[in-house]
Amino acid sequence: MSYTIASNLKQAIKILKESDGKAQVIAGATDLFLENLPSELVDVSAVPEILGITRGKDFLSIGAGVTHAEAAASSVIRSEAEALSEACRIVGSPQVRNMGTLGGNVINAAPAADAAVALVALGAKAVLTDLYGSSREAFVVDLYGGYNRSSVDSSAEILMRFLLKPAQRGEGSAFLRFAPRAALALPLVNAAARIRVEQSLIKEARIVIAPAKPAPTRLLETEKLLLGAKPGLDLWQKVKSTASSEIEVRGSMLRCSEEYRCHLVGVLARRVSQQAVVRAMEAE
Amino acid sequence: MKEQVINFQLNDEPVNVYSDPSLSLLKLLRNRFNLLGTKEGCGRGDCGVCTVLLDGRAVNSCLIPAGKVQGRNVCTIEGISSKSTAKAARFHPIQQAFVEKGAVQCGFCTPGMIMSAFALLQENPSPSKEEVREAISGNLCRCSGYKQIEEAVLEAAKVMICQKEHPGFK
Repeated sequence: MSYTIASNLKQAIKILKESDGKAQVIAGATDLFLENLPSELVDVSAVPEILGITRGKDFLSIGAGVTHAEAAASSVIRSEAEALSEACRIVGSPQVRNMGTLGGNVINAAPAADAAVALVALGAKAVLTDLYGSSREAFVVDLYGGYNRSSVDSSAEILMRFLLKPAQRGEGSAFLRFAPRAALALPLVNAAARIRVEQSLIKEARIVIAPAKPAPTRLLETEKLLLGAKPGLDLWQKVKSTASSEIEVRGSMLRCSEEYRCHLVGVLARRVSQQAVVRAMEAE
Repeated sequence: MKEQVINFQLNDEPVNVYSDPSLSLLKLLRNRFNLLGTKEGCGRGDCGVCTVLLDGRAVNSCLIPAGKVQGRNVCTIEGISSKSTAKAARFHPIQQAFVEKGAVQCGFCTPGMIMSAFALLQENPSPSKEEVREAISGNLCRCSGYKQIEEAVLEAAKVMICQKEHPGFK
């Protein structure tokens, strides 16, 4: 029965181990605090091992404890993973961005969590550590275990960091959301894209939208359409119609009707791809 | 949860309280410290009326478990007047500007608005209109329409810069 602020990873693991599965990890608390709290909590938001943003030679490492505000202010994230930077600037409100962490955004497993959508489009991997010191890597998209449910057991594992490939030559990414208001609003649809161009032709494309399934979802048909194509009006028309029809979305009382969401998926998929292509061409 | 001792800085004074760590910081401030300036609105991070500063950054006190403030610095609306550079002033320049610009109607969102503005001006003493809008984007006001609030924050920024450059200025 306690709330402990762990000062390092070793201490956090020790508490989790000793609690015999009763204690759970908490970070920014902005989501978890609205639910029924478990009786023992280990606050990892000050654990140095899960903080910080590092640019390696061929990877970008972002600590799971990095807040949305820190990520939004990071020039490294802006230049190497612009979609994530844009997503982090729009989450919740300034107050929520000051507390909520990227790791929490993913583990909370909301189907349209802004940062998670961007991380999936960027192909980010998560690094997790268990209580016995062994770590594993998994794609962010594979950490979803169902609607609003993570496959990560936060009494037995700690999400440490995210690994991303920095933007390559000719590569650009973008994030867009459509919501009833510019702030403090749930998105009706979120979209993120990562695109690489070579001599004005699209060579790689990842387009992700949410909410459609429990996890942010890739638009595989739309991606196929983009591969090898030359960006132009024709292509964007096709992107919109393909995106709208390739995926089933549901209407909800909370957000909007099925028809409207279907329309938005097409529009946002088109806009976000266009934006990513513009950036990719600038980086060529 | 079982009660535990929580030590922190509250409006620049060291305090310790014996409390359930899963209580919200908002309830702790209002019920245990009788600091009633911080209001409770939605209770779920959607309205910003409970905004306080945690280590200088604006946060929703309704979303913070009391246990989380251990060893940290909390500043509420009650704590900002004394931070005024003009010692004789009763109100902080932001509060004064809210009064003068008519930025207060029902007043319920005002403490939260002022704390968000305070956090902004600490970090960015001369913000643009857009930066002010961004800073208060987590605070809902259902009566004023935001225009006067925006003007008040910009006015306060000017006054605060003036006070810094000319310490006797009121």
